[in-house]
Amino acid sequence: MLKVNNISKNYGKVQAVDGLSFECREGEIFGLLGENGAGKTTTFRIIMGLIDANQGSVTLEGAPIDYTKTDQIGFVTEERSLLTKLTVEEQAQFYGALKGMSQEEIDKALSYWLEKFEISSYRTRKIKELSKGNQQKIQFICAIMNHPKLLILDEPFTGLDPINVKMLKDAIYDLKKEGCSIIFSSHQMEYIEEFCEKLVILVKGKAILNGYLNEIKKAYGIKQIEIIGEVQREDFEKIKGIKAIKKHQNKWILSIQNEEVVDKVFQAIRSRKIYKFEAIEPTLNEIFIEKVGSLK
Amino acid sequence: MRKKWMYLTKMSLLKKIKSKWFVAVNLLFLFLIVFLLNIDTIVSFFGGDFSEKTKIILVDKTKQVEPIFESFVSSLENTSGESIRYQIQISSKTEAFEKKKLKGEKEILVVLDKDPENYLAAKIISTEKINSLDYQILVQAINQTKGEYALSLSGIDPLELSKIPSPIQIQREVLSNKQSIDEGMDMIMGSVFPTIILPFFMLIIFLVQMIGADICEEKSTKSMEVIISNVSPKVHFASKVVAANLFVILQGLLLLVYVIVAFLLRSVLSDGNAIGSLTSSLGGVWESLKAVGFIDKLWYFIPTVLLLMLVSFVAYSLLAGILASITTSMEDFQQIQTPIMLLCLGGYYLAIMASIFNGSIFIRILSYIPFISSLLSPALFVLGEINLFDMILSILITIFVNYLLIHFGMRIYKAGILNYSNEKVWTKFAKVIKNKDV
Repeated sequence: MLKVNNISKNYGKVQAVDGLSFECREGEIFGLLGENGAGKTTTFRIIMGLIDANQGSVTLEGAPIDYTKTDQIGFVTEERSLLTKLTVEEQAQFYGALKGMSQEEIDKALSYWLEKFEISSYRTRKIKELSKGNQQKIQFICAIMNHPKLLILDEPFTGLDPINVKMLKDAIYDLKKEGCSIIFSSHQMEYIEEFCEKLVILVKGKAILNGYLNEIKKAYGIKQIEIIGEVQREDFEKIKGIKAIKKHQNKWILSIQNEEVVDKVFQAIRSRKIYKFEAIEPTLNEIFIEKVGSLK
Repeated sequence: MRKKWMYLTKMSLLKKIKSKWFVAVNLLFLFLIVFLLNIDTIVSFFGGDFSEKTKIILVDKTKQVEPIFESFVSSLENTSGESIRYQIQISSKTEAFEKKKLKGEKEILVVLDKDPENYLAAKIISTEKINSLDYQILVQAINQTKGEYALSLSGIDPLELSKIPSPIQIQREVLSNKQSIDEGMDMIMGSVFPTIILPFFMLIIFLVQMIGADICEEKSTKSMEVIISNVSPKVHFASKVVAANLFVILQGLLLLVYVIVAFLLRSVLSDGNAIGSLTSSLGGVWESLKAVGFIDKLWYFIPTVLLLMLVSFVAYSLLAGILASITTSMEDFQQIQTPIMLLCLGGYYLAIMASIFNGSIFIRILSYIPFISSLLSPALFVLGEINLFDMILSILITIFVNYLLIHFGMRIYKAGILNYSNEKVWTKFAKVIKNKDV
């Protein structure tokens, strides 16, 4: 289990991370969200031991992360951290050796993953000759071929087409099943929503939301109702708590103040012919925009 | 961690050696060294006018100076270090007759006649322009002939007369306690020493370029993030420094092998005479070095110089590595390495010019300065300006500077390799040096 306990880091007057704490258990995928410059990369660097925090601690399985622990961590950086003059095989051998793997283990793992990602023919090709998507796959393979206990994924799906995204998603789920703790960062909220049970949203290095995704959504409350049926605008106009009424094709979309309004709306139209009535949970994107936007 | 350090070192070294450019450059080196050390054989192989002797036809109207002139020409052609290039033909025919027979660039007619006012009158007649060396030798021989001819007319006893042009036996006595004084050393420093230290200068350039390019590549591709998450910056830096130094040592040894190959080839081409005409030049240098007692010092001079070179290579690689860590691209490194190159170039030129400014206190002080000392100290030692103690002092100073570079440079390196911004870079790193916990 990864435990980040009250870490802070400042660069001069700039507070990059401010008292951040979270936990990521075995087999859990944790989302780290934030705008550019929110402190995500600094947090990753502190976790990886690349830089020291001014205060706080980071432990993996109860012990501080040092160079005896980093062999158990996989790291996919936002930009492709590959030596482009090397071949795929040489690159894997290089990163594998740095993870303390033997030549045999590297060869075996590389063959397995190249086949799984359907790029076995690229084994002896130079990295610079590969497409961005395939380079991303190689970076991913290099990060996971040692079966890490902790995997840090910083924008792992950048430059990938939907088919390749699915391949990587499957691999991530496999690692989760193996018990790997995964920290996931992306600007694409749908991926975070799909993957992460828990998340933290950073604004200027500070966690403004931290916890399980379903609890965050619950706390945020239902703010929208979608209705398809034989209803008219007048049916909603008199109900208190409705902020806006929109019609998109045959679907009515009501923005509401809180969950209590849902029942009022339902009661008001229950005698009509209704094909769909759905109280919509907020998307993570909406929560992110509202929370981050309100602080600006 | 030691295993990872060894792996990183091996990786950096192999990346450089396995490159096709390394092979190409070394083939070029081999070709150039073999070519330069065998240039006379190669030139002879293709032939040309130079292999043809110049025919000097002498019409001696005085009937007295012919043997004198012949002996002076012979003596001068030996002094010039060239192989026999003149064939002298004494003519009993008239000037007009010989003039008609002249043909080509390689036939020169010299007419010597009595001159009532100036002892001897001379004419040099040729169909074409004469090679400047041939002309100088002829003019010198004629002037010397005139001198001896004039003396012979003075009535001095021939035995006494022969003593006049013979060289003076100079007894050289040096009153200072310096044993290694020989005026011939200036010639050695001016011509031979630059050639000897040139490979070291080249190796320093290779070293700086290699370590800089390696670090910049890992930084610019962001591979550094992954590497440093697995090995400490200290281990990473040490691997780069060791790999770069091993590379230049290997390159230096290869250059030595190429020189041996070139000499072996020379030996084959010149029927077992390995050094050929080079012997006279090298022999001269060797004799000069022997005269100043330098040869007796070689047993400690060579290891001391090699040790100084080694610690200086380390200093250069540490400085280049630290500077490369600060930069964010290869272009930035190319600019920031310029002072290192100038430092090295300064050392090279000072080493060459050391003999001109013999006794300069300023140059002597510079010989203790790390980076410069590697090229300058050996030059001053050969000149007898400094002794073994000074060389050891230079080594110790360089070792101390290496310690400072490691101690403070590591802080810069640790912060620099993960820095991708050029904003307030010097302020940032000044703070880093002060704060050991960064």
